[in-house]
Amino acid sequence: MKSKAMLIDITKCIGCRACEQACKEVHHFPAEHEPVLSATALTVVEERGDKFVRRLCMHCQDPACASVCPVGALRKTAAGPVVYDGKKCIGCRYCMLGCPYSVPRYEWSKLAPYVKKCDMCAERVLAGKPTACAEVCPVGATIFGDRDELLAEAQKRIRENPAYVNRIYGAEEVGGASVFFLSDVPFEKLGFINAPQTQPLPVLSATALGEMPTVVMVGGSLLAGLYWFTQRRQQVMATEAAEKAEKEAKNVLRFRDKERS
Amino acid sequence: MTRLRFPEISLWRVIVGLIFAAGAWATYLRFAKGFQVATNLSNAQPWGIWVGVATLCGVGLSAGGFAIAGAVYLLGMERYRPVLRAAVVIAFLGYVSVILGYAWELGLPWNFWHPIVMWNRASVLFEVVWCIMLYTTVLALEFSPALVEKLPWKPVREFYLHWHHRILIALVLVGVLLSSLHQSYLGGLFIIFKGKMYPLWYSNYQTTMFYMSAIPAGMAMIIMALYLSVRSLNVRIDMRILEDFSRIIAPMLAIFTLFRFADLAKQHALGYLFLPVVETAYFWLEIALFVAAPLVLFNLPQVRRKPIGLYWASAVTIAGFIMHRMDVSITSLERATHAGYVPKWPEMAVTMMLVTAAVLAFRLAVLHLKILPRTLEVSTPPFQLPRTTGYVFPAHPSAAVN
Repeated sequence: MKSKAMLIDITKCIGCRACEQACKEVHHFPAEHEPVLSATALTVVEERGDKFVRRLCMHCQDPACASVCPVGALRKTAAGPVVYDGKKCIGCRYCMLGCPYSVPRYEWSKLAPYVKKCDMCAERVLAGKPTACAEVCPVGATIFGDRDELLAEAQKRIRENPAYVNRIYGAEEVGGASVFFLSDVPFEKLGFINAPQTQPLPVLSATALGEMPTVVMVGGSLLAGLYWFTQRRQQVMATEAAEKAEKEAKNVLRFRDKERS
Repeated sequence: MTRLRFPEISLWRVIVGLIFAAGAWATYLRFAKGFQVATNLSNAQPWGIWVGVATLCGVGLSAGGFAIAGAVYLLGMERYRPVLRAAVVIAFLGYVSVILGYAWELGLPWNFWHPIVMWNRASVLFEVVWCIMLYTTVLALEFSPALVEKLPWKPVREFYLHWHHRILIALVLVGVLLSSLHQSYLGGLFIIFKGKMYPLWYSNYQTTMFYMSAIPAGMAMIIMALYLSVRSLNVRIDMRILEDFSRIIAPMLAIFTLFRFADLAKQHALGYLFLPVVETAYFWLEIALFVAAPLVLFNLPQVRRKPIGLYWASAVTIAGFIMHRMDVSITSLERATHAGYVPKWPEMAVTMMLVTAAVLAFRLAVLHLKILPRTLEVSTPPFQLPRTTGYVFPAHPSAAVN
């Protein structure tokens, strides 16, 4: 299956919150509206001035959350969604901090809490269906499709309509995502973060971890060398002391013999 | 046979009792009511003081174990052998309390064993977890003779100690390597938070910095523990050892800080040093406690010459160290997350209970095992022994040449 994605056009969104409701229905959450992302609201429509901005997992191409998870509970699937396996999770919550968009939520009130985030309707996608939010959107503000086709579509819209900001948010941020935003207002004004780099974030940890073999090899040899050196020095010192003592003993004997003779 | 008596009630025992009572109540809240009731953790601030203090500082303050084991066994610094076992026990207890602390910190603590079988080599935390597991095993093995000596069966004892002696050097070497790795990678956890952390605390070299800050903090910890053992557990050691340890703290902290400022310059973040925001105050307070105060105190003869001076200077250093690690793990994220996190009392109670338990375990070890040389109170001496704690060092031997 080709990698899937979603394109969200902020200029088209009318703020009807049908996507929120569809998401809650698919995930069997209570239906009441929540203003911000939570463990029971995996996507919300936030009002920014006269614009409506959806918040949801960006489904990065090389996700930081999956990279930081010590047990590999999060992973990027070939079909596009970044999915979470609660059976593996230990609850360290590193993914929540690792995510540059601060999307993952935690079930703080539960005694066996799990991480919750948009899963891009992974099961539906595998069954060949679009995500629930895209399917329900009455104005086509959120559309679902192949990642490269949606990128081309976004580029086409920008080309054809100069009202758009010349930027596809999610195309390049931290290595690219599988959720794209188009807007006619600069993204910073809509609460979007400026991604720290265009390279995927896991590159940073990989660089640090890459130093490990060197540390072990160099450190190990250095320590072994130091140990050998101190041992050898102690041996030499002991032998020298013994030789000196022997010499002195001989001198004493010679002196005594001289006295006697 | 020692007679069983009802323990005396003293101020310290009352305090310890209160800490454990609070810890027990906090534990009940954490496991029966969950995070929401027991903590101020939130989606914006998922890591609080259980990570910032219990883990980051617990591991850092245990760095004296590998430093002193390495110094004695690998560098042949025999004069520190009398305090070697104490350093290893302090480190071991430090790591055990860090690991136990995860029972409270992890959301699904019963899955604690997952990293053993479910691997993600790309995760810095995975490497840290493995290093901590392995190094705690190494520490347990390094410390084991103190327990084995107490066994009543001579052949078992001799067999064990014989083999222990043969592998000891390898064990110490592996221990130093494992420590170096996870002490640094603990800082490596924060490298991926690029863009979320306030520039004064973000660094690509957080690994190196955590390593450089852990060793002086670990030495300060050893000084405090040894001083208290001498003062309250009849331990008799040459107090000049403490002075020796203190000599490396200030220079290492100075190097750490120079490195830090050089790194800020490299990242073009020097402009943040004097911005009128609250982070600036935190940063400079941290510099004052963790660098400026130790640099001054450890170089004042009045402080350095007296064990009590070393004790308080070390206490200030450790306070600065804790502040530094809390800044890295909590303060630095506030601007991006707007979490406004302040720990709730059960978070503090659990942390204090873990620290107190480690201190009590250390006390028991010193009292019942051969950890440190002690004078036994067999009889009252006919004359007044000089109080060790008020003792002033004779001039250092290096000053006595010619």
